Amino acid sequence: MSHPVVPSDTTTPTGGRIFHPKAAEPAPVTVVGKQAWLKNNLFSSPLNSAITLVLLALLGSFIPALADWLFISAHISGQTQDACTGDGACWVFIKVWIQPLMYGNYPDASLWRVNLSLILLGAVLSSPYWLPPKLRNKVDIMLLLAFPFMAIIILDGRLLGLEYVSTAYWGGFSLNLFLASASIILGMPLGFLWALGRRSNMPMARSICVVLIEFFRGVPVLALFFMGSVMLPLFFPEGTNVDKLLRVWIVLTLFMAGYMAEVYRGGFQAIPSGQYEASAAIGLSYWQTTLLVILPQVIKVSMPNILATSVMLFKNTTFLMIIGIFEILSTAQNALTNSNWLGGFSTEAYLFVAVIYWICCFSMSMVATRIERKLDTSHKS
Amino acid sequence: MTNGTRPTQPAGSAPAFYNNPRFRALFYQLLLVIGIGYLVFLIISNTLANMESRGIQTGFDFLSTTAGFDILMTLVDYDATHTYFDTFIVGLLNTILVGAIGIVLSTIIGFLMGVAYFSSNWLVQRLSVVYVEIFRNIPLLLQIFFWYFAVLAALPSARNSYSLGDAFFLNIRGLYLPKLISEPGAGLVYGSIVAAIIGIFALYRWAKRKQELEGVQLPVLRLSLALLIGLPLLATLLSGIPFTLDYPQLKGFNFRGGITVIPELMALAVALSIYTGAFIAEAVRAGIQAVPHGQTEAARSIGLKDSQIMKLIVVPQAMRVIVPMLNSEYQSLVKNSTLATAIGYPDLFTVFVGTSLNQTGQAIEIVFMTLAVYFAINMTISFTMNWFNSKVSLAERK
Amino acid sequence: MLKQVTMAATGLVLGLSMTAQAGTLEDVQKRGSVSCGVSTGLAGFSQKDEKGKWSGIDVDVCRAVAAAVLGDSDKVQYKPLTAKERFTALQSGEVDMLSRNTTWTLTRDVSLGLNFAGVNYYDGQGFMVSKSLGVSSVNDLDGAAVCIQAGTTTELNLADYFRAHGMKYTAITFDTSDQTRSGFESGRCDVLTSDQSQLYALRIGLKKPSSAMVLPEVISKEPLGPVVRQGDDAWFNVVKWSLAALIEAEFLNVTSSTASKLAKSGTPEQQRLLGNTGDAGSKLGLDAKWAYNIVSQVGNYSEVFERNVGSGSPLKIARGLNAQWNKGGIMYSNPIR
Repeated sequence: MSHPVVPSDTTTPTGGRIFHPKAAEPAPVTVVGKQAWLKNNLFSSPLNSAITLVLLALLGSFIPALADWLFISAHISGQTQDACTGDGACWVFIKVWIQPLMYGNYPDASLWRVNLSLILLGAVLSSPYWLPPKLRNKVDIMLLLAFPFMAIIILDGRLLGLEYVSTAYWGGFSLNLFLASASIILGMPLGFLWALGRRSNMPMARSICVVLIEFFRGVPVLALFFMGSVMLPLFFPEGTNVDKLLRVWIVLTLFMAGYMAEVYRGGFQAIPSGQYEASAAIGLSYWQTTLLVILPQVIKVSMPNILATSVMLFKNTTFLMIIGIFEILSTAQNALTNSNWLGGFSTEAYLFVAVIYWICCFSMSMVATRIERKLDTSHKS
Repeated sequence: MTNGTRPTQPAGSAPAFYNNPRFRALFYQLLLVIGIGYLVFLIISNTLANMESRGIQTGFDFLSTTAGFDILMTLVDYDATHTYFDTFIVGLLNTILVGAIGIVLSTIIGFLMGVAYFSSNWLVQRLSVVYVEIFRNIPLLLQIFFWYFAVLAALPSARNSYSLGDAFFLNIRGLYLPKLISEPGAGLVYGSIVAAIIGIFALYRWAKRKQELEGVQLPVLRLSLALLIGLPLLATLLSGIPFTLDYPQLKGFNFRGGITVIPELMALAVALSIYTGAFIAEAVRAGIQAVPHGQTEAARSIGLKDSQIMKLIVVPQAMRVIVPMLNSEYQSLVKNSTLATAIGYPDLFTVFVGTSLNQTGQAIEIVFMTLAVYFAINMTISFTMNWFNSKVSLAERK
Repeated sequence: MLKQVTMAATGLVLGLSMTAQAGTLEDVQKRGSVSCGVSTGLAGFSQKDEKGKWSGIDVDVCRAVAAAVLGDSDKVQYKPLTAKERFTALQSGEVDMLSRNTTWTLTRDVSLGLNFAGVNYYDGQGFMVSKSLGVSSVNDLDGAAVCIQAGTTTELNLADYFRAHGMKYTAITFDTSDQTRSGFESGRCDVLTSDQSQLYALRIGLKKPSSAMVLPEVISKEPLGPVVRQGDDAWFNVVKWSLAALIEAEFLNVTSSTASKLAKSGTPEQQRLLGNTGDAGSKLGLDAKWAYNIVSQVGNYSEVFERNVGSGSPLKIARGLNAQWNKGGIMYSNPIR
């Protein structure tokens, strides 16, 4: 095995000759450019080509028909169902019903109160981005916890001396948003308490928390709503009458708490025991350790799951339709049974609701991904 | 609830009894128990008083009275003369059926779509992303409506069904399949199926030992398939084909005979599988991504083929991440199947909490029975998946 | 933390709840509104338009009671209820009365602690088929697939009827009327069954209403009426006689436009109804003008009927059983005197 080693850079100097580097050739078309991209990503093998062609054929067959129904033959002008003739979608239906779909039957003159609450919700949720860093931690949590009550006060109006608007008039998509955010906000701390109880070494507290968590996780949310709407009134003393929306809120909060407790449990498991030992070593009490050392880490670790659970709860607010609360989906169904709109617009109605939900949930999951990336301070290999 | 010890306690002097952590723990728990007990007592006494004053009947006597209504799909013998308890059983079986179908289908869809995310075909990879993002972010109720009212409603009427060789029919009323009717001698065939399954288990153990001892890999999957198909086929031929087929036939308004898969079941199963499949795909993707890339590289460097890398290296490690997520997805699938009530699939919730409750008005008994059932189903899933999880995580430590 | 949450929750419960007392009538007068349980959406009976305004035959009963008790038919708080929760809502005091197409049956009257205050619509279960099916009677429907709008009695009646006639059927039960119609329209079933009043609403909702027909048979009796809690006779009387006033006004030919004139110059019966003479109002614990308020603000039964389900509505339902007893129907009010 003795090959002569030939150094690659041995050149014999040739006097007077100047070295002209050749102009760089463009990369071969098989590596860059559209053609190469197509080849590498769509037609890299016979199987891949076949899959690509089948998928393209499928897309090509239904996209034009869909676009025609959605836009080209669709109707948008007019105020009654008579404006909709022909085959296209009838967006007149959505146009006429848009206010109930978004705001329920909240009185026209007071709509600003719903809008104010929505703006408040936006402001509270985005507060980590605009609050000065010094204030952030405490004010943030206070704002969050105060939001459901502020919203109720504004919407209800009695405490502020505004016109009283009973919960029977609240509805539409704003109600979905309020109910979901209010129960998420209150369910998070409650779930944390339950998760703590589950980890506690007091047997009674532990078993009570386990029962609570497993009950609210193991039972269909529809059954919970049903209990809230039909059975809870039987649990209260005779003659007391708790508002239906409040009952639903309680149910949703407990439901959220059960799921959050499970999410936190995963978070707790990720905290190294050294953290507890170190806090004990510097003399922190149980609550100091829990709130100042453990809680922030647990939240950080479980943030993606917290957001995923929140999205799930938000989607579940459509189930309220089944117990007769006028959130967006039941408002749509109610509109479909109105005797002036009996022309069968269910596709338009459900599509509208689906698109609204999709936009909200998709942006929530985008935010989740962003936060996940931002919070990810672990060492990546 | 303080149970950490205070480090500043002066030596020698015993702490006051109220600072004793054990006493405190006891005290707080006592307080909690009394509080909860009082609450429960209050709820029960209020409920009893309310039911008394409103003349609501209590007890489980209603279970043995005649229900008097019919149910669209029953897996056991049932008609309007049966009792409310029978409606409970019918609903329960239908719930289990749709749950089982949903779990199988969603797992298949989820794994396919999760793996598709790593496809080299750009279109397939995009398809996986679009699938997950669309179906994960739209409320399930709307998706059920979509499959039932938009997709299945486009099927033809009974008289213009799609058919396959006059044995299979698909129309708006459902999917009609020929039914297998066993005749004397079929016992041998059923026995051979059991024998094949036992044989597969034996084969699996034997192949594993052989591999551990000699390093020889047997084509277990192919051999088991051959066993599972070949043995019953042989038995059928030997016993002179002891089966007849009952073909569905169009009579009057509808098809009679054969097996009918109602469209409500199809729509619900499809909607549940596609919705849950999106979450499973996400779990599978996360699981595969959680396997360090070095594993793949190392596997490649010792000369494993791509398919072997997936099967032997990546998937077993990804399962550790995937299985706990599958557990909760399966449980949500079963819980979400209660949405059957929106399209009238006769599951436990529709039949029992819906019609039966409406007829009898005994909300408390019925709702608690239903809750107990869902709880039990979910516990079963949880135990099974935890057992499975312990299997896959043990494999990792070897 | 826990304590604060508990306190906040208690405050909220107290803030958003109200305690119903024994006398519903005094409660209503003090509160200034009638809390009325209605359907979440049933064409012609209780429906909400895009402005949030409720209308329908059932809704007009609520309005009549509000007009009688409070003098203003708009002082109603509508509580939309599903079929499952309606009785609980009434029993727990969440609503003062239920006017939600509820069939009057012995079981409900006797064992649920409720009282039916009369009948505002005589309905019956009927069938709608597609004309192309070539069926002219229910008895031709052996083996048919039947779409049912889940009601409380529809499924039972259907089972009884088909069993009594030795026919087989497949029942497909839907939750809402819109879903039932979609099911029928897509061909999932051959025939749709529901209360007759709803069949008309469902029929005009079809893409081609002329392609379907309602079969002549009615297989059940469905007297629909308002319901109140048992044991509160004063309130029971108010609801019962408010409904009666609607019917009596039609019998006496008093309409919303003629009420003010007839109150002074009408026949003795008209004047007594409208409170110019007699003391019916004070006996009920109401204003003397109670029935006048009902008729002038809500109208008489005929106006209510035609406006919501009859010739003035898209449903175009004929009076039939719901005509006055002297015009071929069975609507009959006990004398108000």
